[in-house]
Amino acid sequence: MDDVAGAVPEKRHRGRESRRGDTGTVSSLGAAARQARADMWRDVLPNAWESILSRIRSFEYSQKNAVLVPAAALGVGGMLLYWLRSGHKIKTIDMGDGWWGPGERPLKGKEDASIRPFKIETSDKEIEDLHQRLDRFRFTPHVEGAAFHYGFNSTYLRKVVAYWRNQFDWRKQVEVLNKYPHFHTTIEGIDIHFIHVKPSYVPHGRAVRPLLLVHGWPGSFYEFYKIIPLLTEPAKHGLNEGDVVFEVICPSIPGYGFSEAPHQKEFDSIATARIFHKLMNRLGFREYYIQGGDWGSRITTNMAQMLPQSVKGLHLNLVFIARQSLGRLICIMLGAYVPWLVGFTREDVRRFYPYMQKNVYDLLRESGYMHIQATKPDTAGCGLNDSPVGLAAYILEKFSTWTDKSFLRQDDGGLESKYSLDELLTNVMIYWVTSSIVPSMRYYKENFSKDPDLSAHNRVGVYVPTGIAAFPQEIAHVPRVWAKDVYKNIITYSYMPRGGHFAAFEEPKLLAQDIMQFVQKVEQL
Amino acid sequence: MLLEVLLVLGTLLIYFLFSKKKEETLPFKDGWWGRGQKPLTKEDSSIRPFKVETTEEELSDLFRRLDQARFTEPLENSCFHYGTNSVHLRKIVSYWKNQFNWKKQVEILNKYPQFKTKIQGLDIHFVHVKPPRLPEGRAAKPLLMVHGWPGSFYEFYKIIPLLTDPASHGLGDEHIFEVICPSIPGYGFSEAPHKKDFNSVSAASVFYELMLRLGFNEFYIQGGDWGWLICTNLAQIAPNHVKGLHLNMVSVSKLGLTHLLSVLLGQYFPGLFGFQDEDVRRMFPFLKKGLYRILSESGYAHIQATKPDTAGCGLNDSPVGLAAYILEKFSSWTDIEFQNLEDGGLERKFSLDDLLTNIMIYWVSGCIVSSMRFYKENLQKGIGTQKHEKLTVQVPTGIASFPNEILHIPQAWAKKKYTNIVSFHFMPRGGHFAAFEEPELLAKDILQFVDKVEKEQLWKKKGE
Repeated sequence: MDDVAGAVPEKRHRGRESRRGDTGTVSSLGAAARQARADMWRDVLPNAWESILSRIRSFEYSQKNAVLVPAAALGVGGMLLYWLRSGHKIKTIDMGDGWWGPGERPLKGKEDASIRPFKIETSDKEIEDLHQRLDRFRFTPHVEGAAFHYGFNSTYLRKVVAYWRNQFDWRKQVEVLNKYPHFHTTIEGIDIHFIHVKPSYVPHGRAVRPLLLVHGWPGSFYEFYKIIPLLTEPAKHGLNEGDVVFEVICPSIPGYGFSEAPHQKEFDSIATARIFHKLMNRLGFREYYIQGGDWGSRITTNMAQMLPQSVKGLHLNLVFIARQSLGRLICIMLGAYVPWLVGFTREDVRRFYPYMQKNVYDLLRESGYMHIQATKPDTAGCGLNDSPVGLAAYILEKFSTWTDKSFLRQDDGGLESKYSLDELLTNVMIYWVTSSIVPSMRYYKENFSKDPDLSAHNRVGVYVPTGIAAFPQEIAHVPRVWAKDVYKNIITYSYMPRGGHFAAFEEPKLLAQDIMQFVQKVEQL
Repeated sequence: MLLEVLLVLGTLLIYFLFSKKKEETLPFKDGWWGRGQKPLTKEDSSIRPFKVETTEEELSDLFRRLDQARFTEPLENSCFHYGTNSVHLRKIVSYWKNQFNWKKQVEILNKYPQFKTKIQGLDIHFVHVKPPRLPEGRAAKPLLMVHGWPGSFYEFYKIIPLLTDPASHGLGDEHIFEVICPSIPGYGFSEAPHKKDFNSVSAASVFYELMLRLGFNEFYIQGGDWGWLICTNLAQIAPNHVKGLHLNMVSVSKLGLTHLLSVLLGQYFPGLFGFQDEDVRRMFPFLKKGLYRILSESGYAHIQATKPDTAGCGLNDSPVGLAAYILEKFSSWTDIEFQNLEDGGLERKFSLDDLLTNIMIYWVSGCIVSSMRFYKENLQKGIGTQKHEKLTVQVPTGIASFPNEILHIPQAWAKKKYTNIVSFHFMPRGGHFAAFEEPELLAKDILQFVDKVEKEQLWKKKGE
C-alpha cells in the first residue's frame, strides 16, 4: 500500500520503452496532446482540490501520516516532473548489443579499446599476382551494338584492363591512400578501420565540429578523399560557408575494405549504427554531425534514430522511403497534372516523371545485383574475389549507370567523363586486396531478409535536424513532401544542379557546400 | 488496404475479360545471327562431324587458376543459405584438381556422334544418336531433346540409351527413338549469336530448320528449363510437324483473376479450381512455396535478364566462381531443402564427375556470358508480354511433373495453354534436372506418352 504512488511511475516507465518497429501509443509532441491534457486537468482539478482541502482540514498528527504524507508528496512530485519531461520525449530505436567475432563471445575481460594507427601496405607478390590474373583474363565479345545495355562493354573493358596492367601504379595509389591517418580499433569483436582527418590549421574563432561520413556499396572510404580537404580546410579551397570547420571521420563498414568482416550472421545497419556510435564515443565525441549516401544513408539514419541526443545534424545525399501506399499511389497519379495539390515542386515533376519509366522500369533494370546479393551473396561474389577483371566490370558498371543513366548508350559507359581510371581502379583495388567483395554483398542479405522494403524504422521517424541534397542523376528521386513522412525535421532540401549517386566522389564541391550550408543553419537554431 | 485489394481485383477482372488465348500459329522467325552483314552467297548447309577436344595447355591453365583460387570463409552455420558454401567448394576444387580426369570425360562425351552445321549464320552443335539395333521393318522415331540453363546436351547422356535401346534397359521396345540433342546457340559448342534479339522463338526456328535438314518431317520434342520454352515455341511454329510435345517443366506467364483466386482459396476449395490433392500438397502454403521461393531463387534470373555481360564476366575468368554459380543451382533446384546441408546435398543425386563435366563444357567453350544473354533476350520486355506467350499449343502434350521442381504448376493451369494434354503425371521423386537425376523415370514417362499418341494417332487430330 505504501508504495502505490511510487509504483505508478515505474509502470509507465516500462510501457514507454520503445521496441523496434513499435508504433506505440505515446504521442508526445503536438498541440492535440497538450489540448487533451488541458481538458483533463480542467475536469479533475476542482475535485482533487476539494478532497485535498478536506484532507488537510481533518489532518491529525500521527506516525502513519508522518510517513505517508511525505511519501505521497514525493510520489506526486515525481510524477509531475516525469510528466513534464515526457512531453518532449521522441521515439528511438533500441540500441541493443552484439558480438561479431569468431566463436563465442569471451565471458571475461573487457574488450581492447585501444586505437591503433595503421598504414595500408602492398607487396611485390600482391602486384605480381594481380598482373598475372589481368594477363590471363578470358574475354567474351559482346553482341553488335550492345554499348552498355547488356552490362559492362567487353571491348571497353579490354582498354581498362590494359591501363590497369600497364599504367596504373598501385604503389603510388597506396601512398595516396596513406596521406590521411588510418586507424584500427576493436568494437564488438571486430576490427573497425577508419580515417580521422583533423584540420591542420584552425583560424581563431572557428569551431571544429566532428563529422562522420559513411560510404556505401560498391564504394569505400576512398570516395571521400576529394571532399575531405574541402571540409577540413574550406577557406583554402575557395569555400567560405560560415564559421564551421570539420574534423572528419570516415570508417569502413564492417565487411568492407579494411574493416574486419563479421563472423556471425545478422550484421545489419542497426548493428553498424551502434558500432559507429561506439566509435565516435571512443574518440571522445558526444555530439557530432553525420553524413551518408547509399548504405551510409541508411546507417546514419539509424544512428539518428538510435541516439538523437548525440546527432547534431544528419545530412543525406540519398533518401530511402517506405513502400507505396494508396495515398502515395494517388499522389503519383495526380502529381503529373496538379503537382501543387500533392506538394510536388516543378523540379520534383521534372525528375520524377514519367513515373513508370523512372521509378519502375529503370529500377527493375538496375536492381538485378541487389536481388542476387540479397539472396545468394556467397555465390554472387565467389568469382569476383577470384577474377579482378570480373570484379572491376561488376563495380565499374555501377559507377557508369548510377552516375548518369544516359551513359548506358555509350560504348565506354561514359566512365572517364566524370572520373579518372586511377580513382576508379583504386576503389576496385580496395575490394580486391582486402577480399571484401563477398562480405560486402552479405550486407544486402542481412538487411533485406529482416526487412524487405527497408521500412521498419520509417515508422519510428527521424527527429534530428536533417539536410537533404537531391542529386539529379540519383537512381530514384524522393520529393521533399515524401521525405517529410520519415524525416520530421528537414532543415534544408536542395536540388543539386548536377551529379549522381556517388556524390562525394563526383561532385565534392557541390556536396561540401550543401553540407556546410546545412550545418550553418543547424548551428543557428 | 481494402480499397487497394478491390482496385487490383477490378483491374484483373477487366483484363481477364478482355484477354483471350488465341489459336493461331507462331510465325517462323528467320534471321541472320553471324558476324557483320549476311553474305549474298547461299549458306553452307553441310553437316560436319565434330569431336570434343582438349589440350595440355587448356588443362594446365585450368589447374593454375584452381591453384590460385581465392576463397572467402562462410559465416558460421550458414550451410547453403547464403549461396554455395566455400568450405565445401574447396573440397570440390580439390577433387577437380586431383581426381577429375577431363581427358577421360572428353572420351565419354565423344562416345555419341556429334556434328555441326550452319543455320542462320551460326554453327549449331548437336548430338545425333541412332538406335544400335532396329528390329526388322521398324523405324526409329526422331526425338529432339532440348536442354536449359545451367545445363547442356550432356544432361541427356544417361537417358539417351534408355530411349535408343529401351529393350536392353528393361523398357519395352515398342517405341525406339533416334535422339537429337542440340546445344542452344550461345551454349556449349554452338556458336553464340552476334546480334541482339536471339530469343526462344529464334532458337525454335533454328532447331526446326535443323530437324528439316536432317530429313525429318515428323518428330517428337522434349524439354525442360529453356528447353520447355523452345519446344513449346517449336510446337507453335510447326504444329503439323510435331507429333508430340513432352515437358518436364511447365510455366505460365499469363496470370489472371482465376489464378489469383485459386492461390487464395485453392487450399480450401481445391475441387473448385481443378486442383488435385497432390497439387495442393505441392503448392501450398503458397507464400512459402510460391512467392518466397520465386523471390529467393530468382536473383540470378534478374541480373542475367538485365546485365548478362557484367554477371558472366568474372565467371568466364574464374573456374571456381563458375563452379560455385552453377553448382548452387544443381543443389537447390534438385531439392530446396538441400540449402540446409553443409554440402548442399550435391553428391546425393549426382556424381562429382558428372557435375564437373557439365561445368567444364561451360568453361572450355567460354559460353557463360552468351548463355546468360538468353535471359535478357527473352525477358527484357517483361514476362507475359510476348506474342508467343499469348498463343496456345494444340499439339498432343505430355507433362511429367516432378515434386522438387522449383515451382509446381497444376494441370488446371497448364491446360489453359496446352489445350491438348494427353498425359499429366505426378512423378514420385526428382527435381529440375530430370533427365540428369532420374533418367529412368523420365524415359518411362516419355515412352508412355508416345505410346498414347501413336496408339490413338493423336497427332492427326491436333485437339480441335
